[in-house]
Amino acid sequence: MKTLSQLTDFYYKSLHPTLSELEEDRMALKKRIIVTQAILALIAIAIIYFMFSSAVFSIDILAFVGFGYFALAGIAYKLLIKDYAKDFKFRVITPLIKEIDINLRYTPSLHISEMHYTRSGIFTSSPDRVSGNDFVKGKIDGISIEFSDFHAEKRHKDSKGRTSWSTQFQGLFLVSEFPKHFKGRTVILPDTAQSTFGDFIGSFLQSNNFSRNDLVKMDNPAFEKEFVVYGTDQIEARYILSHALMEKILDFKQRSNHPLNLSFNGGKIYMAIEYNKDLFEPSVFHSLLKYKIAMEYIETLHLAIGIVEELKLNQKLWSKL
Amino acid sequence: MSTPLIIAIVIAIVLVLMYNSLVSKKNQVENIFASVDTQLKKRYDLIPNLVSSVSKYMEHEKSILEDITKLRSEANKPNISDEQKIALDAKMSSALGSIMIAVENYPDLKANENVMHLQRSLNEIEEQISAARRAYNQAVTDYNNALEQIPTNFMANAMNYQRKEVFEISVNERKNVNVKELFNS
Repeated sequence: MKTLSQLTDFYYKSLHPTLSELEEDRMALKKRIIVTQAILALIAIAIIYFMFSSAVFSIDILAFVGFGYFALAGIAYKLLIKDYAKDFKFRVITPLIKEIDINLRYTPSLHISEMHYTRSGIFTSSPDRVSGNDFVKGKIDGISIEFSDFHAEKRHKDSKGRTSWSTQFQGLFLVSEFPKHFKGRTVILPDTAQSTFGDFIGSFLQSNNFSRNDLVKMDNPAFEKEFVVYGTDQIEARYILSHALMEKILDFKQRSNHPLNLSFNGGKIYMAIEYNKDLFEPSVFHSLLKYKIAMEYIETLHLAIGIVEELKLNQKLWSKL
Repeated sequence: MSTPLIIAIVIAIVLVLMYNSLVSKKNQVENIFASVDTQLKKRYDLIPNLVSSVSKYMEHEKSILEDITKLRSEANKPNISDEQKIALDAKMSSALGSIMIAVENYPDLKANENVMHLQRSLNEIEEQISAARRAYNQAVTDYNNALEQIPTNFMANAMNYQRKEVFEISVNERKNVNVKELFNS
């Protein structure tokens, strides 16, 4: 696989003509957005001013106008950037993925199937609404992989019957084949209890977590500090999580620097990396040529696709009997 | 209800909980040891096949092969204790390890399909055994902790529970495989 610096080179050299064109679009778009938003804001202020002077003022109408303004502004923003975002994904993200591996297929409008998300068992309840985009699927050296941006939400109803939505997971969700053979389920989550409540109370809470399978204590202190493992089978969990793999997961966590959830179920590895934002979207208010912006696209893709490389390396040492 | 009665009930509940947690820890150790044992047996079953297919070629390693056969017959004896099984496993692992390294010196052997298949199967079982050993060690550590920590230690004393031994994890197992080093040697 291409290294990070090779990809950065590709971004700045081969994609440079495209990026400069998109830059022009971006500047024009930025102006249009500012003008549109300013007009909308002026209209809102004018309505409020008119209400004040005509003495029909009430909190309800003010709230209504405010709500209308934010909804309209949001819709206007989405409509305005639609073409630009489509262009960006087609002309920048697509070649970038092809450059990493020619066998990967990229579909900007699709996302990973909800079945994978539920089957992973990383989250104990199923979501009420899912969305996502930027679906990548393919085989790298014989190992199939798919991932996408994914957003899962839960619905809540308060006593007045109003519904609200809360995010269960937002970030990168990845599914890949796992070369070892196993029957049960092993789930690896960030260790929040032990880091919040300390070792003693934390581990008590973890071993009494009824929504999960049995707690599996790992014999790698650094891994144990970062993660908590639940599994259906004590031995199988350790068979999957060899010392080598634990080191790799730790290393992956440090590089990605985002909360990492993993699960092994039905011959597959599932990874949910929490970014809490929509990934691979073009930046509107910062230049596409800015190093920090560019690296975010490149690094995320490199990290996601690179995990297969790590698993494949192991495949030669094991044999799926 | 009178206060002494409440206190007596609370003490009784605490005692029962302590007793149950000790029993479940002991059973967990025994359960996992049974799985370790199954995996070890699987490995012992591969040994006659391994010895017969490599002994034709291996001249210098005759003594190791004899050791392996001897270890296997010892392990197959009835009524050997868990401690003995653990000790036999350590010896077996190191003997098998040196045979696997020695195979590298015989190009004929390395290319032999049967040996290659055996090597893969052994690797796989080695991985399973390693996982089972680690699970066993964790179960034993939990059990031993309960035996020594307050307040369960009083209860364990009364029940006459004894400390259990863990498997020594060999240094090789802890090390990550370094592919570069393999090529350099």
